[in-house]
Amino acid sequence: MTGFRITDGIDRGTAFQFTCDGESVTAYPGESIAAALMAAGKRQTRVTARRQMPRGLYCGMGVCWECIMIVNGKPAVRACMTPAEPGMKVETQHGVGDPA
Amino acid sequence: MRETDLLVVGAGAAGLSAASEAAKHGLAVTVLDDNLLPGGQYFRRLPTGYHHTHETVFDKERQRANALYATTGQKGITYLNDAVVWESPENGVLAFARGADSGRIRAKLTIIASGAHDRPAPFPGWTLPGVVTAGGLQNLLKGQRVIPGRRAIVAGNGPLVLLVGATLARAGAELREVVEAAPILKRLAGSIADLIAMPKIVRQAVDYRLAIMKSGARLRTGWTVIEARGADELEEVVLAPIDATGKVDRSRARAVKADLLVVGFGLMPSIELVRLLDCKLEWKPLRGGWVPVRGADFETSRPGVLAVGDGAGIGGVEMALREGKLAGVIAAERLGKLSRDQAANLKAPIQAEIAKVETFRRGLERLYAMPPAFLDLLTPETIVCRCEDVTAGELRARQDAGFGSTAALKGTTRTTMGRCQGRNCLRTLSALIAQASGQPIEQVTMPRPRLPARLVTIGDLLQEELPPIEMPKDPHLPRGERVS
Amino acid sequence: MAGSVFVETPPRDAEIAVVGGGVAGMSTALFLARAGRDVVVLERGVPWGDASGANAGTLSLQVKRTEVLDLCKLSLDVWKRFGAEMDIDVGFGQPGGLRVATTEAEVAHLREYSEEQRQGGLEFEWMEGNQLRDMAPWLSTSVRAATFCREDAYSSPLLSGGALPAAVGKAGGRIVGHAEVTDLKREDGGYRIETKRGALRVKTLVITAGPWSGQLARMLDVALPIYVDVNMLSVTEPAPKILDRVITHIGGILSLKQLANGTILIGGGWQGRGRFAGMEKFADHVRLGQNLTTAVSVVPDLAKLRLVRTWAGYEAVAPDALPAFGRLPNNDGAYIAAAARGGFTFGPAQGLLISEMILDKPPSTPIGRFDPARLLTGAHA
Repeated sequence: MTGFRITDGIDRGTAFQFTCDGESVTAYPGESIAAALMAAGKRQTRVTARRQMPRGLYCGMGVCWECIMIVNGKPAVRACMTPAEPGMKVETQHGVGDPA
Repeated sequence: MRETDLLVVGAGAAGLSAASEAAKHGLAVTVLDDNLLPGGQYFRRLPTGYHHTHETVFDKERQRANALYATTGQKGITYLNDAVVWESPENGVLAFARGADSGRIRAKLTIIASGAHDRPAPFPGWTLPGVVTAGGLQNLLKGQRVIPGRRAIVAGNGPLVLLVGATLARAGAELREVVEAAPILKRLAGSIADLIAMPKIVRQAVDYRLAIMKSGARLRTGWTVIEARGADELEEVVLAPIDATGKVDRSRARAVKADLLVVGFGLMPSIELVRLLDCKLEWKPLRGGWVPVRGADFETSRPGVLAVGDGAGIGGVEMALREGKLAGVIAAERLGKLSRDQAANLKAPIQAEIAKVETFRRGLERLYAMPPAFLDLLTPETIVCRCEDVTAGELRARQDAGFGSTAALKGTTRTTMGRCQGRNCLRTLSALIAQASGQPIEQVTMPRPRLPARLVTIGDLLQEELPPIEMPKDPHLPRGERVS
Repeated sequence: MAGSVFVETPPRDAEIAVVGGGVAGMSTALFLARAGRDVVVLERGVPWGDASGANAGTLSLQVKRTEVLDLCKLSLDVWKRFGAEMDIDVGFGQPGGLRVATTEAEVAHLREYSEEQRQGGLEFEWMEGNQLRDMAPWLSTSVRAATFCREDAYSSPLLSGGALPAAVGKAGGRIVGHAEVTDLKREDGGYRIETKRGALRVKTLVITAGPWSGQLARMLDVALPIYVDVNMLSVTEPAPKILDRVITHIGGILSLKQLANGTILIGGGWQGRGRFAGMEKFADHVRLGQNLTTAVSVVPDLAKLRLVRTWAGYEAVAPDALPAFGRLPNNDGAYIAAAARGGFTFGPAQGLLISEMILDKPPSTPIGRFDPARLLTGAHA
């Protein structure tokens, strides 16, 4: 059970890889981190600070800040608003995003 | 400081239409967009490196979309993407954050086309990964062509429910259930006369319905989601009918396995900027709640500031396109590029179209008016404020302890004080206060508007040149006015 | 409502009324109620509705003038005892504070100022060079020297705003919200108080209404000159640890600290715009920029964080900037805490000391120099 890309009618260009929590993830130029993760079936983006609850993409338009992740060491990056890049290092954000 | 004739905030349907029309008549227009690409939410654009190989069912709006995108290169228009408007330091001036290009802009006239976002509708489990908003789902489809799950359920209230259901069916998801809270089938007869004012949209709705039926999904009206379940992600959704009194009938609840739940309980206007500008607001529940009071020609109570599109009251894309265009004419007239007669001639046909959309909206609003049950869904453990992890139980305990006002609940629980600045919880907080006090929700005090209107990176704000800092001679001595 | 610490209307008679439900008022009421006295708090809005809720929560000893060091130490001690002895969670933390200097002139000023404070009993360490970098690697290299005071602390305006009123209720005190006082009169050896929630008669009156205190005193024919600052404060998004001390600046233009939830509070007495009448108060664009510039010049990593909210709050200040609290001149049985310059810091001490006067106990620290009667003389009489 997982999310997926609609391929009909779209040429996405050349795929590349980035990592999420150490695992390789496929993405296309211009694709958001959130979209690539959804297509790979990874939906949890962070764990909240106060109650340690899992959260994921919710509003999809940069309003809710639920999909924040640690990207190349920088905490609180909105996965829905940020294009993936080759070799990018993405991590699930625990709490405020202290380094693991 | 940058200067422009007309400043348009927002590059969605309303903003780009306004900019295009105004520039056509010779105004220098600057558009500030907080997204990377123009189009806003409805006309969200695919990454520029993606190419269409052939037309699909998802490309029906391509022509209108491309025309809008082209606006950003139109003569007379300066388009600034990734620009977050956060403050109005003085009349006619807005401050925006845009990395090294951050600064202020002075405009003779400002059009705010801030758009909308999904109204929060909390229920147990709504914070689980796998639960996404209707707006978010449509954005992923349009902007990414990605569906964030496989086994899908759509639940909510309003025209987006059918649209999202059809999207998922056409995209090839395993659509299980589409549930609309309002009993729209029973109400259809009473609305159809107004709805046919926009026959194209009615036809579309029929198509959506057919697509859902064809997929094998159940389409229920007068039902709602009451719970989402799962350990770390969504695994199961509980649905139940709403009875004639507006209460959820839990005895007939049924659980359905799913890994994607799309919830859409209507949109609400993004009013943070009009609030910061101290524009007068009014409560229009059928238009999404608090909206700026607008006079003739879309002017807010703040002279020189116009508001159009969903940000001025939910009216949908057809309304936004036309309001934007009309506002462009109004701006050109007010700034001397069109005579009164010229403007009147341009306005008349747009106004006639707006009247039709208004008629359609009335039918839509009667059709979808929401049964008032959603606070009943909250359990003590249900999260109300997602940013600060505040539950309904905590809020009700504070209310019972006497901390019942907006300020007191905010101050003692941090509700509304997180990164979303209340966009996902203030409405629920107000509803809880209204319920406890017996007041109508529109009488519940709103928190004072605070800057920044949206989060901005501190480093961006330091790009602006400021006068040198003067140290106080003695920082202990009073600096303010004498009050007694 | 069941379990509420608030009552809808004031009783007709009470022994003591405290007007103003901020930190000074609640502290006063707490000590009186715990001593078994019948006390009612009258609050014009909701507790912590203004200055007590809108300030940064910094409890810094070393930013204070030498004259008030003993009072400040007492107040820090009370803040600490709330949690440690009375089980009231006010979010007290004592990480120690650095007071920084960035130019030669500021270093000289810091030396002079801190030496004077040392004479007044302040304990601190002089920090510069590697020692300073080791303690605070997150400080900008533009910081040339700092004094480190282990006693500098903070408490949470948020937590204390819930916990102190609850503690007053638990101790038997009553709190009436939305009970703005519209008139005060002397009557039969006590006071008659008119409020928007009804009238009451009391034997003893305590005015702890921050910037409104002067107007209340005037109802009893006492003219106290009170000024009101409109201090701006900003808060960032929650972030991993960036700084772990309370930061202040020798020029009096910065206060910084990171709270337990990771957010960073940025203040420093920068003035917003607005007037006291009508409670209009806004952030000022230019001064906000200057405040943030100063903050980033001291802790450069702040530039990476997002600003979530900026607001402005009132602070009542006496013309000489010393605390003004004690007996209300010419009014037997009436007391006032009118101003402090650091009202959140001093509130608990003011509350304790006023309760000691009412309870006929010797004061925990000498308070003669803070007598509000001083403000009636000279230019301000």
